[in-house]
Amino acid sequence: MAQVRLSGIAKAFGKVTALDAMDLVIEDGELVCLLGPSGSGKSTLLRLIGGFETPSEGTIAIDGVDVTRLPPERRPTAMVFQSHALWSHMTVHGNIAFGLKLRRLPRAEIRERVERVLDLVGLSGYGARLPSQLSGGQQQRVALARSLVIEPKILLLDEPFASLDQHLRERLRDEVRDIQQRLGITAVFVTHGQDEALAISDRIVVLADGRMQQVGRPGEIYAEPKTAFVAGFIGAMNMLDGTLADGEIAAGGLKLPAEGSGPARLAIRPEDIALSEPEEGRMVTVRRMIDFGSHVVVDSTLADGTHLRVQTDKAVRVEAGERVGIRVERWTVFAEGEEPRRYRSDTVRSFRDVRYA
Amino acid sequence: MIAALRSGVAGGRLSGLLLVALPVALLIWLVLWPVLQAIVGTVYFPGTGFSTASYAYFFTDAYSLRNLWLTLWVTALTSVLRVAVAMPIALYLRFRSGPVAALVQALALFPMFVPSVLVAYAFIRVLGPNGIVDTILVALHLPKLASPYLTPAGPIIGLVWDGLPLTLLLLLSGLGRVSIASVDAARDLGAGSFTLFTRIILPRIQSSIIVTLAFNVLGLFSAFTLPFLLGPASPEMMGPYMQRTFSDNADPLNATTQAVITFAFCAAFGLIYVRAIAKGRKAPA
Repeated sequence: MAQVRLSGIAKAFGKVTALDAMDLVIEDGELVCLLGPSGSGKSTLLRLIGGFETPSEGTIAIDGVDVTRLPPERRPTAMVFQSHALWSHMTVHGNIAFGLKLRRLPRAEIRERVERVLDLVGLSGYGARLPSQLSGGQQQRVALARSLVIEPKILLLDEPFASLDQHLRERLRDEVRDIQQRLGITAVFVTHGQDEALAISDRIVVLADGRMQQVGRPGEIYAEPKTAFVAGFIGAMNMLDGTLADGEIAAGGLKLPAEGSGPARLAIRPEDIALSEPEEGRMVTVRRMIDFGSHVVVDSTLADGTHLRVQTDKAVRVEAGERVGIRVERWTVFAEGEEPRRYRSDTVRSFRDVRYA
Repeated sequence: MIAALRSGVAGGRLSGLLLVALPVALLIWLVLWPVLQAIVGTVYFPGTGFSTASYAYFFTDAYSLRNLWLTLWVTALTSVLRVAVAMPIALYLRFRSGPVAALVQALALFPMFVPSVLVAYAFIRVLGPNGIVDTILVALHLPKLASPYLTPAGPIIGLVWDGLPLTLLLLLSGLGRVSIASVDAARDLGAGSFTLFTRIILPRIQSSIIVTLAFNVLGLFSAFTLPFLLGPASPEMMGPYMQRTFSDNADPLNATTQAVITFAFCAAFGLIYVRAIAKGRKAPA
């Protein structure tokens, strides 16, 4: 069992609050992503768990043992750093064996464990090479192996793939997920990439300005964001400032049914807007079409100039400057101090065949 | 188009050559030419031909050899002491920040702005006979300590203090190549301070330490002011020895011979420096 419990954790650097009182339990074998923009406090939180920073307030317990004041070397954790942090004067074997040598394990056991972990990360036969003789992806695998070989209870990953290209990043994140599940290890993964977080997490913790915005499963965070920040940060979203009155929200030339009164923010996912024939109501002017291969995004403007992105079928073809109708199928309204309200249209009809290429 | 590019490249080469021409000319005029003159002047004598008598005299004269040995000993010990004193400060400054670190840095770099003559007289006022330390000891009814003034320890203390800033800056530059993440990674795996220093930091700054030592040796071997003002009269370091041979003894041939020998030692360390720089450039970051 390897559970991490954070209770009332806060961290201030001088007068700057990096993290505000935070409670979180990471269960055994879980992979939790800390997701947020730069300066949100996600790396600080990871460093607090790893023992590289000491919290200003609160406690950290691993398997029920208070580790708040313990240095990194006395915690059952291992960190994979963004910059790989490999020691260039040591071979791959030397890098991986370092932690085992410090534990004074017999030479034969060290060799056997290094070989095993190299096999696990797909680098068998690379032990004699220097880090400078490896590619970026291979270097990050060595960093992962170096952390895994000491068999930590908690694996901490601080944006480990940030310096790699997209293709390699996707491949490595899948490999990390596979390894984590195979070993059943608890992992905390820091990223600012929402795709990465959605792809590999059991749960996502969304952070902003040192505060926890929402904790939940990837699908839940995506479908039911609890704050306007989460709505805007996770996935593509049209965020419009509006006003609630008379049972509807008026935002950027759009009027949709909604309860309440006063200022509010209207959030609509591009895939929750369907193109319709002009006579069916709300009109937009097409600015351009962005073809992503699997789908098409229509960048359009409402009557008052507000931008609206509409995701639609890849077979749909509309021209720049063309005026088309839209139907909003789902939307969420965020009003200050209130729970978000989610709405769904009951009047969705399919887009006419004439619009398909 | 290609012709224009070629002419641009040629123009760039010419301006590059012009830029290095002045320092190269100064190097030839002020260093290489006098060195050549000194070497030739100590082995070739118009009318009598070649002779290495002055070198034979230096290497058979007990006093000269004692001076050379003292210079080597002071240079070696001072260099090691400078690195030993500057290293903990450099490590602290590399891995710490904040107002205390800024104060430590300011204090450590302060000697850079104090002329050597002032350092020497400050030393005499503090550690010399009847200096501040003696006065305090007497006031406390404690026995006086033997003053390092006019002993080999005198110039060593003065030279360590005087050369600390440059040593610190050179070590800090080397430590800049050791990322905080690589240190954190070692700590994370269980490394204590000693292991961190010996297994992670030291191997990464080896070439910087060699450069620092070579730089120190180059300056120390021919140091004059502090050894002259704080050191013993006999034996004496090569700097004061050369000066005394030249002006007091009015013996330019032997003074020049001593200078050539000093230059040969410095050139050997210069070679080590150049090799360390070349190795550092080849090493992966």
